[in-house]
Amino acid sequence: MRPRARIGDGAVLLAAVATLVFLLYPAVVIFSGSLQTNETLFARNRFDLTWGNYRRIFDAGFGTYLSNSLVICLAATIVATVVSVMAAYVFSRRRFRLRRLLLTGVVAGQWFPWVVLVTPLFILFARSGLTNSYTGMILCYTAISIPFSVYLLLGYLETVPRELDEAALVDGCTPLGALWHVVLPVMLPGVVATATYAFLLCWTDYLLALALLTRPDMKTLPLGLYQFFGEDTTDWGAVMAGSAVATLPALLLFLPLQRWLVSGLTAGSVKQ
Amino acid sequence: MTLPARRRTPRADRIFVALMLAPSLLILAAFYLYPILSNVWFSLTDLSLLKLRRGGSYIGLANYAEALGGADFWRVVWNTAFWLTAVSVVVRLLLGMALALLLHSQALLRLRLRTLMRLALLVPWATPPIVAVAVWRWLLNPQAGGVNRALLWLGVIDQPVAFLASTATVWPAIVLILLWNTLPVVTLTLLAALQSVPQELGEAAALDGAGGVRIFRHVTLPHIMPTIAILSMLMVFWTFNNFAYVWLATGAGPGRYTDVLATEVYLRGFVDFNLGSSAAIGVIMAITMGTFGLIYVRVLGRRVTS
Repeated sequence: MRPRARIGDGAVLLAAVATLVFLLYPAVVIFSGSLQTNETLFARNRFDLTWGNYRRIFDAGFGTYLSNSLVICLAATIVATVVSVMAAYVFSRRRFRLRRLLLTGVVAGQWFPWVVLVTPLFILFARSGLTNSYTGMILCYTAISIPFSVYLLLGYLETVPRELDEAALVDGCTPLGALWHVVLPVMLPGVVATATYAFLLCWTDYLLALALLTRPDMKTLPLGLYQFFGEDTTDWGAVMAGSAVATLPALLLFLPLQRWLVSGLTAGSVKQ
Repeated sequence: MTLPARRRTPRADRIFVALMLAPSLLILAAFYLYPILSNVWFSLTDLSLLKLRRGGSYIGLANYAEALGGADFWRVVWNTAFWLTAVSVVVRLLLGMALALLLHSQALLRLRLRTLMRLALLVPWATPPIVAVAVWRWLLNPQAGGVNRALLWLGVIDQPVAFLASTATVWPAIVLILLWNTLPVVTLTLLAALQSVPQELGEAAALDGAGGVRIFRHVTLPHIMPTIAILSMLMVFWTFNNFAYVWLATGAGPGRYTDVLATEVYLRGFVDFNLGSSAAIGVIMAITMGTFGLIYVRVLGRRVTS
């Protein structure tokens, strides 16, 4: 190898190692910290292995928060994905009056700050008894997922040739049959990626849960995690254990789906 | 566009379209349109969280006048537009581009680090923002945080710094948290774009004697520009509107030094109990992003409405 290439490789190696440390160190801290006692977290060169943090957070109700989060987010993801596929399909394949206006309206939903929704929803929920209910949270999370889901699905639908569903219609399929039997199988990766994004949107929401869930037994994971941060003292061991529990489902979703997730964001931007 | 199959009547097809759209539109009407419209109404009243039952009385544009007239408001606008949005988007684009080029380079492949790097990128990406803030609050804390320990060891600082509590460091620290959490999605999207650039183009330019930098500027960059544009817009929406990063990292503090529009809406409404003035800030925010979005649709709109 020529000397110049060797210097180049050295620089690349240095940059790569620095980047790896930056990306991975915080995650290492979460998992190692979650297995240490609070005393050794602050001490140097000491490491007392313990499951105590995990036991403590589950004693403090983390199991309930986890199941609340799972129920609300899974239900919202399913509802949001189904109704978004339906809407995106006709937006993509049909030309009708008001189409442009409605489509811009739906997609514009992702431009709007959710914090604007908080007060009106807080009042609406209080009046209609939806505060502290699964139904209310599921509907609310469905709503915030729809705009981005429709946006992503439109990109994926562009990659499915129109001739496919037109041929199915000619062959006597109903419109819904064409979507179900012909289009959906082809764009399944896109649907899965969309559902993943929707799930993560709900899984990580802090703001709406903060305003709409007040009863301790209805709290979701993000609220549960931040109750370990106190005014004066923070239970760091519990924070780390809670962080690990909150991250694991997301990581398990990302590992197998990563390539599909990347392609979706700007799917329509590179025109063939 | 007309469909070739015309056995179904246009009327039946119209009903089909309406039925397919109905669920989404109804949910969005109830949970987006209705809140937005009531927010506009609240912003014209003196509604208070403590007197919800009584409701608010109409006070015209007083809330807007009060907000736009205050010096604090413009500081909050500056924090949102400059620190939270502009700085963080530019930093992430530049570092994301550098990292994408690194991942795309032959050297990394030679060193057998490409796969490891891709896997490592998944870790911050999969970390929920709430967790990212939590772990960086630990890393940046002055008692035993890893950042302070590293900087002390390197001799960069003499004594521990409370990064999230000092006005000199708090904004760079928040940007650092955002960077760690969202660099992967920027990098991987740019990498996918780089990989879609036809190899022949670069090779032809190299034959004509163009160097690496010129090939990047004149061949690669124009090709991936649409991706950069869409990615930048998405990042602007994601960060400008974001509540959780700032709120969970600093609670808009120290004092209200890192207050941004999203936290200001929350503070006015749920800490000061003044829902009317909170709604006014919210409407200003929504109009800003709405205008930004419409410009975006005009400029790059084929993606959205074709």
